[in-house]
Amino acid sequence: MDVLLQTLLNGAAAGGVYALVALGYTLVFSVLGVINFAQGALFSLGGYLTYLLMGGHISVSGGLPGWGLPIALPFAAALLLAAAGAALLSLLVERLAFAPLRRRNAEPLLSLITSLGAGLVLVNLLQLLMGAEGYAFPAGSLAGLPAVVSLGGARIRSVQVLLLLICAAVVLLLTLWLEGSRGGRALRAVAEDPTTARLLGIDSDAMVRLAFLLSGALAGLGGGLVGVSVSLPGPYFGIGYGLKGLTVLVLGGLGSVPGAIAGGLLMGLAEAMVPSGASGWRDALAFAILFVVLLLRPTGLLGRRLVEKV
Amino acid sequence: MDCRAVQRHAVQRHASDSGRSTDAMIDHGLLVQMLIGALLGISVYLPLMAGQLSLATPAFYAVGGTLAALLSTRWAALGASADGRFPLPSFLLEVLLGGVLAGLLALLVGRLVLRLQGIYLAIATIALVEIVRVAILNLPLAGGAIGIFAIPQPFANAAGYLLPALALLALAAWSCQRLESMPLGRAMAAIRADELAARCMGIDTTATKLSAFVLSAVLAGSTGALAAHFLNTWNARQGSFDVSITTLAFVILGGSRSWLGPVMGGLLLTALPELLRPVGDVRLVLFGLVILLGPVLFPQGLITPALLERIGGFGRQEAQG
Amino acid sequence: MRRCSAGLAAAIGALVLIGQQSDPAAQRIQQGGALTIGAVIALTGNANLYGQDQRLGINLAQRWFDGRPRTAGSPAPPRLRLQLEDGGSDEATAIAGFNLLINGGALALIGPTLSQQAFAADPIAQRLGVPVVAPSNTAQGIPQIGHYISRVSAQSSVIAPLSLEEALRRDPSIRRVAVFYAQDDAYSTAETEIFQEALAARNLNPVTVQRTQLADNDFQTPITAALQRNPQLVVISVQAVAGGNLIRQLRELGYRGQIVVGNGLNTPNIYPICQRWCDGILIAQAYSPDLDTPINRTFLRLHQGVNPEQPPSQMTAQAFTAYQVLAEAITRLQQQGRLQGANLGQARSRLMQELLSGSYDTPLGPIRFRADGEVLQDRFFVAEVRMQPDGRRGRFALVRDLSLASKPATSPPERGSP
Repeated sequence: MDVLLQTLLNGAAAGGVYALVALGYTLVFSVLGVINFAQGALFSLGGYLTYLLMGGHISVSGGLPGWGLPIALPFAAALLLAAAGAALLSLLVERLAFAPLRRRNAEPLLSLITSLGAGLVLVNLLQLLMGAEGYAFPAGSLAGLPAVVSLGGARIRSVQVLLLLICAAVVLLLTLWLEGSRGGRALRAVAEDPTTARLLGIDSDAMVRLAFLLSGALAGLGGGLVGVSVSLPGPYFGIGYGLKGLTVLVLGGLGSVPGAIAGGLLMGLAEAMVPSGASGWRDALAFAILFVVLLLRPTGLLGRRLVEKV
Repeated sequence: MDCRAVQRHAVQRHASDSGRSTDAMIDHGLLVQMLIGALLGISVYLPLMAGQLSLATPAFYAVGGTLAALLSTRWAALGASADGRFPLPSFLLEVLLGGVLAGLLALLVGRLVLRLQGIYLAIATIALVEIVRVAILNLPLAGGAIGIFAIPQPFANAAGYLLPALALLALAAWSCQRLESMPLGRAMAAIRADELAARCMGIDTTATKLSAFVLSAVLAGSTGALAAHFLNTWNARQGSFDVSITTLAFVILGGSRSWLGPVMGGLLLTALPELLRPVGDVRLVLFGLVILLGPVLFPQGLITPALLERIGGFGRQEAQG
Repeated sequence: MRRCSAGLAAAIGALVLIGQQSDPAAQRIQQGGALTIGAVIALTGNANLYGQDQRLGINLAQRWFDGRPRTAGSPAPPRLRLQLEDGGSDEATAIAGFNLLINGGALALIGPTLSQQAFAADPIAQRLGVPVVAPSNTAQGIPQIGHYISRVSAQSSVIAPLSLEEALRRDPSIRRVAVFYAQDDAYSTAETEIFQEALAARNLNPVTVQRTQLADNDFQTPITAALQRNPQLVVISVQAVAGGNLIRQLRELGYRGQIVVGNGLNTPNIYPICQRWCDGILIAQAYSPDLDTPINRTFLRLHQGVNPEQPPSQMTAQAFTAYQVLAEAITRLQQQGRLQGANLGQARSRLMQELLSGSYDTPLGPIRFRADGEVLQDRFFVAEVRMQPDGRRGRFALVRDLSLASKPATSPPERGSP
């Protein structure tokens, strides 16, 4: 029983983050039908921004050794500001890597490469500025929180619980907003059918920018949250989460918000269930599941719309 | 602060030193790597001829390379000598076998994945690449993370690899060129234009797509076998998600309307990070900028249909004159 | 189309011709001219954390060598020029870096950073007869690539069992051992093999072996799985930041027993990650900042000028040593007049001979080379991490300083032979 509960907890903790990353992809995909490969780099950026906003300093191997912002915000404020920063950068990515192609009606395939280039630039700039070593958030980031919570014999780090709760809250808010608000409905209308949306007087370009803004904020939030849990292991750390998020995105069905959440949790659970003896195969499992699901349901678990030919 | 001085010192030194050797920057070793890039570019281009965005090339490349690495280091009958030399016929046999094994694998997998469309196919093939990577990592024979090393050499130096790599490239290019005037190639073009219409015209779309997929895998497998010897060592990292995306970039930047596009893309993008060495620490930032801006400036790639037409047109004019 | 292909063929042909260059090995060494030491290390990609420590070490060594006081009357030391190239974290970039430096006339090379890269690039140097000193390759079989390949990074075979011994000495009742290692990292897999063999030799079969990936930093799942087997000792072989996270999460999730970690964690980089949870872990070291010798004090002083906050990492010390042994061997060669009139090829070959025959007093302690290029290091250390109460700073406190000098000089270390 304990073992089962522990597995569920482990899976949920990992899956929450996967879902958050996948949601970032989903928003952009649903309005543009393309994947933004810069998402992983924005994830890294969110982590580093949170670190700097909390008063962290650049190490000696960075581009500006010893430099730090003259402020030291509490974790929550830094996290929100970092998410805003990542959102702005996401807008810039849209401007540079997506907008020019859209204006020329170029093949959507091209934006895979341009966004990859944007991510490459971002990660390498981060490395030049911050150096390659790991950074831990200043002590007392989560002061007052016990290190671990126990639930009926199962133990989980409280930062993981916090992470899961924040992920759940963000996902809930986002869903409510998409369903209930004017802006959310407009976004969904563009995702559903851009032409009709335009006829209805919705500015589809503005909605695209909104989608990038939101997905950048999600990436930044994810980076900051994972950063407080496992520190910042180097500028490339977001890329791994980006790849995982990509599989979750497709597993759940491209462009489907509930699909991204279900896919994330499923992936986290499946990985948590891999027995120790087979731990070497854990990384392949996510992809194997994806592979099988795609063969059974060629548009993912909860996906419906078929993508245009590339 | 002192540190910055050291680093600036190092960077300046680095920049000034590298300047001296720019004249010899494309050496034979890099040229072989560029040719390998071009071969992988064609491998991604082949399924695209039939409108299928498959990123499975690195998986087949890894399979071919692992096979060659295993055979040449474990199978004494191939004739690897104690001083690390390897008979040329055995090397050619491996290149052939690498292609065959990858082709067989593609035949098996292709039936399953080619039912998927567009981006779903792309992601499923990325999944395949990662599954193959982890499988090779866990394969006890393949040496785990360290991989297989001391792969025997059929040639005395990198220049020796130029000939087989060029021959393979010429063969691949010739096949692509021939394909365009063959029924299979026309069927592929029809599917790329409109899959549904192609099926209505009586084209066996499944068989056509599968053929393109298998051809792509054969080329990638053979290239892997060649690369394993060239690199002296082989490990699971050789076929990964990164390679999937890089090879796709070859096709996109080069142009996806003719085999010349991926060849140019493969040659240029493989050489670029090396040619950017004189700029020092920011070279990968610049490389990223090229990848970011390339498709924006050349949405149809470097080798565009218009360009091809113009070249073809000039050719005709001259022939008339 | 045909024209296009013809043009392409011509372009490739031209490149083949351009690539054809005169062999620098035939060029004469300029009397009094600068001699080039090339270095190919990972400044980009996943291994750049190692690479930046190595760049620092090499730069410090260069400063040390150029700034050494001249004794009156002694011949002028050789002028050395360092050319540092990014070897990336992949094989192809390392090969390109080696080719570039060899064609540019480097006398000797330092690098590459990863063992997998060494297996790709070292054979090229070997074929062309260019001496290579590896600062950080620990996989089996590196010096055996050939005569010209050597390393200053001792294999884990010598060091790793020492820290296990220390843990067992502290608690002889240990029966249940859990092993963690990064399965896709050559450094860690080479090391865990040694750890696991050392455990087996003591009849301690691991109760669980958890394989992680290089990119993993959240170890909730493997840790809870391992803790269900109630281990009394945890043995870890992963890279630095991941290791810091692993230790921290182990402690947070309630593990109270001893932790032994491998060489990959021998860097102050882990302190900020695992903070107060680092306290008490045992680590085997190929380099200890506590080593009290003149050269190590000099090294520490130079390092402090650059990074006053932290002591140097093992990677930095080993990279320093790689440059140092080359610089000293070249100096001896020049003082014996053996570079006079030699061409580059001959100079490279003589340098290799000289390199292997010398003995060196380095920050790592006294070292020599076996005939095949394997390092023979006399002193190893077992340290215990002691963190300050604030949990931000700590140090590797020396527990045991093991001198292997008593062993016969020629005896190959157990299993370290390949």
